[in-house]
Amino acid sequence: MPDSMKRYLYDGSADGLLSAIAWILEDEADPQALMLAKREDTFFEEGFFIATDEARAEAYFSRLKHLAPDAARIIYFFMLSEKEGMETSLLRYCALALRHGDAIKGYLTHPAVNDIIGTSRKASRELHRMEGLLRFEKLRDGAYLARMEPDHNIIQPLAWHFSRRLRAQHWFLYDLKRSTAAQWSQGKLRFGTIEQFTAPALSDDEKAVQALWQAFFKTIAIPDRKNPRLQKSNMPMKYWKYLTEKQGE
Amino acid sequence: MDIHSKLQILSGAARYDASCSSSGSRREGSSTGIGNTSSSGICHSWSDDGRCISLFKILLSNDCRYDCAYCVNRSSNEVERASFSVREVVDLTLDFYRRNYIEGLFLSSAVMQSPDHTMERMVSVVETLRREEQFGGYIHLKIIPGSSNELVRKAGLYADRISVNIELPSQASLKRLAPQKQKDGILQPMALIGKEIATNSLERRRTRLAPRFAPAGQSTQMIIGASPESDFQILRLSQGLYKKMNLKRVYYSAYIPVLSDNRLPVLASPPLLREHRLYQADWLLRFYGFSAEEILSDSEPFLDESFDPKTAWALRHPEFFPVEIQSADYGTLLRVPGIGVTSAKRIIAARRFSAITTDGLKKIGVVMKRAKYFIICSGSSWASTGSSPLIIRQLLLNSDGHQPSAPAPSRQMLLPGLHA
Repeated sequence: MPDSMKRYLYDGSADGLLSAIAWILEDEADPQALMLAKREDTFFEEGFFIATDEARAEAYFSRLKHLAPDAARIIYFFMLSEKEGMETSLLRYCALALRHGDAIKGYLTHPAVNDIIGTSRKASRELHRMEGLLRFEKLRDGAYLARMEPDHNIIQPLAWHFSRRLRAQHWFLYDLKRSTAAQWSQGKLRFGTIEQFTAPALSDDEKAVQALWQAFFKTIAIPDRKNPRLQKSNMPMKYWKYLTEKQGE
Repeated sequence: MDIHSKLQILSGAARYDASCSSSGSRREGSSTGIGNTSSSGICHSWSDDGRCISLFKILLSNDCRYDCAYCVNRSSNEVERASFSVREVVDLTLDFYRRNYIEGLFLSSAVMQSPDHTMERMVSVVETLRREEQFGGYIHLKIIPGSSNELVRKAGLYADRISVNIELPSQASLKRLAPQKQKDGILQPMALIGKEIATNSLERRRTRLAPRFAPAGQSTQMIIGASPESDFQILRLSQGLYKKMNLKRVYYSAYIPVLSDNRLPVLASPPLLREHRLYQADWLLRFYGFSAEEILSDSEPFLDESFDPKTAWALRHPEFFPVEIQSADYGTLLRVPGIGVTSAKRIIAARRFSAITTDGLKKIGVVMKRAKYFIICSGSSWASTGSSPLIIRQLLLNSDGHQPSAPAPSRQMLLPGLHA
């Protein structure tokens, strides 16, 4: 990178990132020639710090949602990826999205667009995967609990998915990696953090239902076509920990 | 018999059904019931054979009065028999769905007393799920050949997808290997379903309140390698089914010898590579604008085992290449080996912003090790672009651009009696 490139800093939060981008896009003529990075608070760090302004971040994102809904969706999933060090790419992507609208998703030959869309796609792909691989267990009080450790912070869209699917059921999602949880009860969805977790007792019939599923899983495979490599490439082993059918194998 | 043993017998008997798709339907769940469907479909697991598990795939019964040569459930075969009650299937489906094991139910059955008797009980399962339990998840229901029009119509009103298995690629083979199944018993309900789906989509256009008939469409399945038909015959049959019967999918299932029978071929192993190539050719029919007659011919009726069917076509048609990336239209891009539906669309979208470089092509997802023999990019080409098909053939075979993922080839050994 050229030394002369102007550098901006933000505090490292999601709101900080979006408000910094909003500020730069309003004030700077050529955002493609700028850098944006997280402030590391080292003594000799160079750059202009932009303070976080939540209202501005929100206003900017809703304007983008209106102008370019697909591009905004891509940014949403990019943020869920919790990936650091790509702020400059995001800034450039946002500038292009404001200029070209949703058509920007076709500009895959542009490095910044390719970075952002590629990262965003990984998060949305994991969401789709977890929609299938998440496993609920029935608890003694009749509620259902699903545990997971996804690579990306997908609990919010995942909970939305199940709120449309298991509407009459009382359930929890628990992300052990981030200590966050979602609760669906009587038509209301709540998100929160979990400080301490003790595994609740399972309902009396739970083990019997799990055994039936394990039996089904085993017999549905055609023995002459055994293909563990294909199985693992479709269903990476990192997801097996909470898969009912992979317990006690 | 306990539910555990029944489940083992009846899922083991259902595993040869190839379809597990849960896509093509979009239904919102009811607030008091359970389940909805996702239009792109969701896979919930992958079994030890690497196939996706999306639906709870099960037979209502394996107690069959038919004696089809290739089928594990045929009446003369000594296997343990079992049948579920309607309630048992309903409860298993709901228990599995609540825990997110499955996307829905795929119910099939052996022919018990009569086609109608069997079909009636199957319809009763889905009716209970939909009406009593307000189940909004995906349902795929198999139609038993020979069941009444009334039951077929009822099935279509409750299920997302319905299918009639065509079983074998020709009438002669059907007669030989499944003597109790009639061609008309299979094609007649297929035609009826096709007609109902067409009428229903017109009605739905008039009013959204019209009940939906099999919104995810109709599919079928045939066994490959149990009978002597060529790939060309099979592809032409599929093409006809897509065009005339409006089918969503044709599934191919490599014949796996489960029984010995002198009407059946002896195979060293199931023809998995052949099945794989047929699926590739099927894709060309549905998404790439190819016709069966372009892919194969009477003089070359079998698919090349060393190359995918699109590469094989490209090698036979050097006059079509090289294709200029900056200006070729969508249909032309699709014919280039190494460029799929997604990358063709991406090329067209990216061209609006700027000319595409080689590096850009890689970013877009074009498989360069195959495409480079067939394209030029702003007039410039690769060392081997435009070489003679013979040379490209060799280069592809030697390079790692040759797809290694295909299952190992298996030569089919035919019994002398089979072609008679």
